[in-house]
Amino acid sequence: MGKLLSSPKLLVIAIAAVAALLVSVAGGALGASFGLGFLGGPIPFISIPAERVAFIGSYQLLNSTVMFWFGGLILLFIAWRAGRNVKDVPSGWQNLMEMIYEFFSNTVDGVAGGRPKAGRRFLALVTTIFLVVMIINWVGILPGVGSVGRIESIEEWVHHHVEKFEAEVEDAHPAYTHEQVEAAALVHLLEEHGEDTFVAFDGIFVPLGQGEQARVPLNKIISFTETDLHEIETAIERGDDLSHVEALENIHHDIEAGVVKSEFTYDEGGSNEKDYNFTGQTAGLLVPYLRGASTDINTTLAIAIIAMFTVQFWGFRALGVRGYGGKFLVNPITKGPIATFVGVLEAFGELTRTISFTFRLFGNMFAGEILLIAMAFLLPLVGIIPFMGLELFVGVIQAYIFAMLTLVFGVMAVASHGDHDSHAEDH
Amino acid sequence: MEALGITLQQLLTQLVSFLILFFLLYKLAYGPIMGMLDGRALKIKESLEAAETARLDAASSAERVEAEIASARVEGQKIVAESREAASKLREQEQGRAREEVETMLERARVEISRDKDSAVEQVRKEFASLVITAAERIVEGSLDAKSHSGLIDRVLEEGLSERKN
Repeated sequence: MGKLLSSPKLLVIAIAAVAALLVSVAGGALGASFGLGFLGGPIPFISIPAERVAFIGSYQLLNSTVMFWFGGLILLFIAWRAGRNVKDVPSGWQNLMEMIYEFFSNTVDGVAGGRPKAGRRFLALVTTIFLVVMIINWVGILPGVGSVGRIESIEEWVHHHVEKFEAEVEDAHPAYTHEQVEAAALVHLLEEHGEDTFVAFDGIFVPLGQGEQARVPLNKIISFTETDLHEIETAIERGDDLSHVEALENIHHDIEAGVVKSEFTYDEGGSNEKDYNFTGQTAGLLVPYLRGASTDINTTLAIAIIAMFTVQFWGFRALGVRGYGGKFLVNPITKGPIATFVGVLEAFGELTRTISFTFRLFGNMFAGEILLIAMAFLLPLVGIIPFMGLELFVGVIQAYIFAMLTLVFGVMAVASHGDHDSHAEDH
Repeated sequence: MEALGITLQQLLTQLVSFLILFFLLYKLAYGPIMGMLDGRALKIKESLEAAETARLDAASSAERVEAEIASARVEGQKIVAESREAASKLREQEQGRAREEVETMLERARVEISRDKDSAVEQVRKEFASLVITAAERIVEGSLDAKSHSGLIDRVLEEGLSERKN
């Protein structure tokens, strides 16, 4: 304490840190229950599927793809700088890349049997998996990723989602006019997605833990009843002029406005019943421009598929079709039914490995993202700092686990069942 | 599948992206670095081997030098011993010759001295005899024959000399 008081620099830093903590507590979720909470934002929208940011023709560019490419570009830049002019005495980027590569070279050789170059065939893929997964994990926690985006209005949302139903209706009723198709599709959309929830965006701070409850269901933004929908459907079937159907008019009007129309009660939990009144506020969804690629299950699934396919490839190349395939397809007559059953289990094992690969990485990174969001709500400004460090660590660990498991599975695949016998012959 | 957001389009996008990334990484970094690492390992191995052979060479040549030095030392000692022996022999020879020379010179000197003495004594005797004869002639005056009496005087003188010598 004396040391702290004697050094003005340290004292200033300490006061600033305490002040930041106090501001963050007051401005965060805790302060919100005392009428403060001035640092609160709109309720975060946690969506498991990645969001679409742009259309390129009919190709939907997702925000996770953007980050995947961004991470890939960083990696390629480093690789280019490292491999551009390799020298025996390394320097700069080459040093870094060489260190990583040599580390994996040694690890791979060690796992694959200890002889030099024993694991050369696994090296490139294992290193790539590590580097790619690490870089996408790391760029995924950059500030702004997942939090900076635009608000997708109700109108846009309806526009995107109605397309699917329009195609269905066109298939079922080819005779319908364009207007009829649009109306029918809208009815289908409201029937199926009427309970979907949205966020009221006008400066509302909802304490953590109630975010899900405070989301506005679609039927409080677009007011419609069962009878309304039925009326529209019959009008379509009769072939009436749809511009005079009042219910449809109202629905279109509500979609355009995109504003919360009435109070609602969250009562799904029963004990947690609470009324929310966001009437008059703009509703919509936050679509982040960027999203960590490893928080999109497609990415992790893609890497897992590549890893497991390559493992099978290694197995077939090392043991031959009969040798490796014989692990899974066992003749029940010569080897017995139990061996056959074990073989089938092995085959399922390969499948489950793919799935566990996928969900291990996805789950960890997605949870990390949510953790960061939660900390940004509990303690805005400061609470996120230690967890950023934690996420950096988790990012490396997960990448390492992914790479190492690929390696271990690969080594297991190339090791034949008859290994003991061949060893016996050797000695 | 839909709830998890798995779509074929996105899955294929990520698959292809990853494969392209893998390929480019291999081209840009792994290939060159792997080649370099292997080359370096080879170089290190070669230079270690070269160092080993150089070390062995040095060791064997050191041994050779050692042996040569030892043999040279032995030879030198032999040479020294030989020359010392020769020198002492030579000295002895020289000494012997010098002694002999001195002795012959002494001998010669002694002989010369005795000869000189003898001739001197002879001369003195002759002088003396003639003097005595002259003296006796004067005393005896004609009575005495110079020739017959000189033999008598010689005898007297010889006796007198040998007495003195003894």
